[in-house]
Formats: sequence, structure tokens, C-alpha cells
Amino acid sequence: MTNKEQIQKEIEQTLQSLDGVQRATANPFLFTRIKARMQKQQSGWEKAYSFIARPVVALAVLIMVLGINFIAVYNVVTPTTATTAIETENDINNEYDYMASADSFDDQILNNQ
Amino acid sequence: MTTETELIEQLKRGDEAAFKTIVEQWKDLVYNTSLGIVQNETEAEDITQDVFIKVFENISSFKGESKLSTWLYRIATTTSLDHLRSKKRKKRFGFLFSLGGDENYESNQIPDFLHPGVKLDDKERAKMLFKAIGNLPENQKVAFTLHKLEGLSYREISEVLKTTVSAVESLMSRANQNLRKELETYYNRHYR
Repeated sequence: MTNKEQIQKEIEQTLQSLDGVQRATANPFLFTRIKARMQKQQSGWEKAYSFIARPVVALAVLIMVLGINFIAVYNVVTPTTATTAIETENDINNEYDYMASADSFDDQILNNQ
Repeated sequence: MTTETELIEQLKRGDEAAFKTIVEQWKDLVYNTSLGIVQNETEAEDITQDVFIKVFENISSFKGESKLSTWLYRIATTTSLDHLRSKKRKKRFGFLFSLGGDENYESNQIPDFLHPGVKLDDKERAKMLFKAIGNLPENQKVAFTLHKLEGLSYREISEVLKTTVSAVESLMSRANQNLRKELETYYNRHYR
């Protein structure tokens, strides 16, 4: 038998090595262990911890915290449109007041003439 | 003798005796399936417990459109694959810690797995085969394990995987090809 044929034979035998395999049997005390684990899980702190430890919950909290921080920083850095509008309005009012006072000053000059 | 439907109804009402019956009846199915995928007896036992806890917690969502065994296979295979992914992630982080001189990091070497149900004469070859099965893509691994270790037909596997029979045929064909390739590499080195 050549080397190649030998190898092919080994491969076939290896692929057939699971033929007739018996099913593995579980621990006979499996139900007792399951019950004990379920009772442990039912304790309040266990429930709370397992809820918080869920990746989805942890991720949601993280996103919320980051979001709040972002909004806070954004509000500090960027002046609001309302504030800008008020400042513009104040500028305009000041200008008109100045102009109004300038007008009345001109009127006084004219009247005196 | 209680039928499967009656057992499920009782379990939906939280009946502990019904739960015990289901565990006793199906535990070997779940354990053997999980063992074939994760190739570790301790981990397979933990996963088996996880599976039955999931069954208890989610029985209300079981509509009875498929057999209970199909549902159990589905939960067992997905829980086993989740476990393998989690193990892989931990290994990656463990490797990073080892670069920092962490001596607790375990070696990457996977110990040889010996399935307890394999005949004595076939043990060494079966070890090689399980090693090769461990390197298969997930879907191929599941299909091959269900077929070889649980004796499921392609139709039954298609119901577990919620796919078509022809898709399962394709998975098995590719699994066999990949296994042959890997075994050929091993035996070529061994027989030089």
C-alpha cells in the first residue's frame, strides 16, 4: 500500500470512529443541582445584580450617562439662540435709544435756532 | 403515562413534578449535544443546567409547533455556541494580560477530548476527529454533531436549525470536506 493510500485509509477510519457511539449520560443528580441553582438565583440581591449585570442594561446606562454629559457640555459651550436673540434685541434697543436721544438732541438744536 | 402535551401544560403552571420529569427524560439528550459541541464534561454539565433553567423560565413561549425535543436541541446548541464564543473572548483578553506578565494566564493548548461513548478501539481516532470538529465553522459543527452524536436525520436537523434539508445537506458536505482536509494535513505529517 502506498503512503497516499495509507493516509486515505486512516482518514476514512477516523471519520467512521464515531459510528455506533453511545450517548453520554448526564449527572444523576442534575435535577437537584438545577433546583439549588434556581433557588439561589431567586434571592433578591442575585436578581438585582443579574439585571444590572446584563450587557444591554449596562450599555443603556452608559449611553444615558454619556448623553447627559454631552448635552450639559454642549449647553455650556454653545450659547442658545434665545440668548443670542435677546442680546441682538438689546443691541437694537440701545441703538434706537441712542438714535432717539440723538434725534431729540437735533430737535433741540432746531428749536433753538 | 403523561403525554408530552400534558407535561408542557403542567410545566406552564409551574408544576415542579412536571419539570423534574422533563429533566429526567431529556437530560442525556441535552448533555450529549452540549458535550459534542464544547468538548468538556464540566462545561457541558453547566450548560445542561442552563438549558433546563431556560426551559423553565421560557416555557410559556413554547407554542408546541415543533416537538419539545426539537426545542431542547435548539436551546442546547445555541447555549453551547454562546459558551464557546464567550470562552474565545476571555481567551483573547487573557492573552493581552499575559503580555503584561500575568502568570495566571492559561496556555492556549486545548486538551484532547475523549467522548465517553466512543468504542475502545476507536478512541485515538475519535480524539483526532473531535479536534478537527472543534475547528469547524459553527453551523457545520452543530450539523455534524447532531448527525453523528445524536443520530438525527437531515430533516430533523433542518427543524432544529430552522432551515431547509438541502441547506443541511450542504452543511454536512462542507463539514466532511473540511474534516478530510484537516485529517489529511495531520496524517501527512504523521506518516512522513
